[in-house]
Amino acid sequence: MNKKWSTKLWIAIFLAPTILMFLMFNLTPIVTVFVTGFTEWNGFSSPKFNGLDNYINLVSYDDTFLISLRNLFLWSAIAATLHVGFGVLVAFILYKRPFGWRVVRGTFMIPNVISVAAWAIIYKFIFNDDIGVINNFMRDIGFSDFHVKWFYESPAAFIAITLTWLFYAVIVTLIVLNELMAIPKEVHEAALLDGANGWQVTRYINLPLVKGAIGTGVILSITARIAMFEEVALTSRGGPGNDTYNIPLMLYNGIVNSEYGYANSAATVMIIIGVLVMIVVSRLFKMNEKIY
Amino acid sequence: MKNSVMPQILGKLFIYIVMIFTIAVSTFPILWIMMSSFKTNKEILGNPFSLPQTISLQPYIDVFQNYNFLIYFKNSIWIAGLATLVGLFIYSLAGYIFGKFDFRGKNFIYALCTITLLVPGHAKAQPIFSIIMKLGLYDTKTGLILVYSSFGLALALFILRATFMTIPKDLDEAALIDGASFWRTFWNINLPLAKSGIATAGILMFLGSWNEYFYALILTTSSMNRTLPVALQFFDEAFSYNYTNMFAAITMVVLPGIIIYLIVQEQVQASVASTGVKG
Repeated sequence: MNKKWSTKLWIAIFLAPTILMFLMFNLTPIVTVFVTGFTEWNGFSSPKFNGLDNYINLVSYDDTFLISLRNLFLWSAIAATLHVGFGVLVAFILYKRPFGWRVVRGTFMIPNVISVAAWAIIYKFIFNDDIGVINNFMRDIGFSDFHVKWFYESPAAFIAITLTWLFYAVIVTLIVLNELMAIPKEVHEAALLDGANGWQVTRYINLPLVKGAIGTGVILSITARIAMFEEVALTSRGGPGNDTYNIPLMLYNGIVNSEYGYANSAATVMIIIGVLVMIVVSRLFKMNEKIY
Repeated sequence: MKNSVMPQILGKLFIYIVMIFTIAVSTFPILWIMMSSFKTNKEILGNPFSLPQTISLQPYIDVFQNYNFLIYFKNSIWIAGLATLVGLFIYSLAGYIFGKFDFRGKNFIYALCTITLLVPGHAKAQPIFSIIMKLGLYDTKTGLILVYSSFGLALALFILRATFMTIPKDLDEAALIDGASFWRTFWNINLPLAKSGIATAGILMFLGSWNEYFYALILTTSSMNRTLPVALQFFDEAFSYNYTNMFAAITMVVLPGIIIYLIVQEQVQASVASTGVKG
């Protein structure tokens, strides 16, 4: 066997396990989701094609799916504005390297390295009426009748779930900070020579230059809302009623109840919304243009 | 003069308020849970803000001995550890090829592998559930190990390809001239030089697997194969009135991740900044 062929064989051997993983746990599942979303399938008998029935059921069986879409829209809007905004604010502050900026950067990451399930349960106790810090604090400062049942009444449940992730925007901060630090010094020197003040540099130079990073932050934050499961399943379970329901919860119930076709139609919606968000946000932030 | 000093002071004040707020929201929930795990139920019910009267490790011993957390702890370490090792091994092989060799279709395969990062992981739940069922791996640790190691694919490939690209090709050529085989060139020469990238990918994969909840919930059922995040939920449902032990259990689940992170924070932050993914 000559050298060239032996190298080709080695390349194939080295790639084989990764390609197998890719086919088994990525490509096949994604194709399956798309195809069986159009079938009636309980996992025992083989899937039966039923056209758009699952999708019609999604919107017409009850209002759970529509409420899930409404919640996704609201949570995405909050994520893209307040959540990303807070992350960007922290990034711009840390960029100035005030005393202690490394400590802030380091601790801000902590909520992101621990289990989301544990985090959701922690927040359930924070909002607990008997022992939780929120209600006890409110009662301590004089609102002696403060007994909001956070995850169990509307609209408190929606607000409480939002608060479990609202401020934890460290990924946005790190991406934007990274991009800020990559701005060449000459750009700032030139602006300062032209008489720009600190605020003008931030507003008219730095902010436009990190637009792409902010766009990435928006995409990642909305994607996280599309896939949000623990924060709902371990706290309000979609309640009260179906007030805080979302698509991952519907997907989970579909699997548990062996309604696989139905579950996969919900999964398809999830994937498509994700792709749409990515396309729209990249366009809005003109993310493919290199500025300098 | 006076006019320019005031805004500066206010600016500084604002900056420090935001910084202190950031530290507070990031650490308070965990510190509160940890502190409360040393308080008795009565103390917790009496005043959620008070400090513990005595420090005792009894709640931790209880959780380990009476509620099987030792088993769940071992399961989590075994599953996350093995998934990380398996993933690192196979993605190092592929990362080496993508980083150092050229062949037809290379960019296409690489793009295809990494674009899957954009599909929300939960969306693939039903097909993955069925595949694991068919393989006879439902409710086994092996099944979870396999699924978790597959989750690292895009991220690990991204990091490892970049790492291998920085290792000079001259080294490979010199090794080949010395008669080293393809495998030895990879294992003895390239792999040791890729340590930092492997460590970063490994840390992110381990944290991701250690913290994973959704797939552990749908792919296992018996307590023998339960991981810590799922155990926490069962504990919460069954013993939620036992606050002390509950808080000790939560602490045990979150502390290892925090410790690992604090040891290697620079790597974790750098890779999050460049990939936007936390494992």
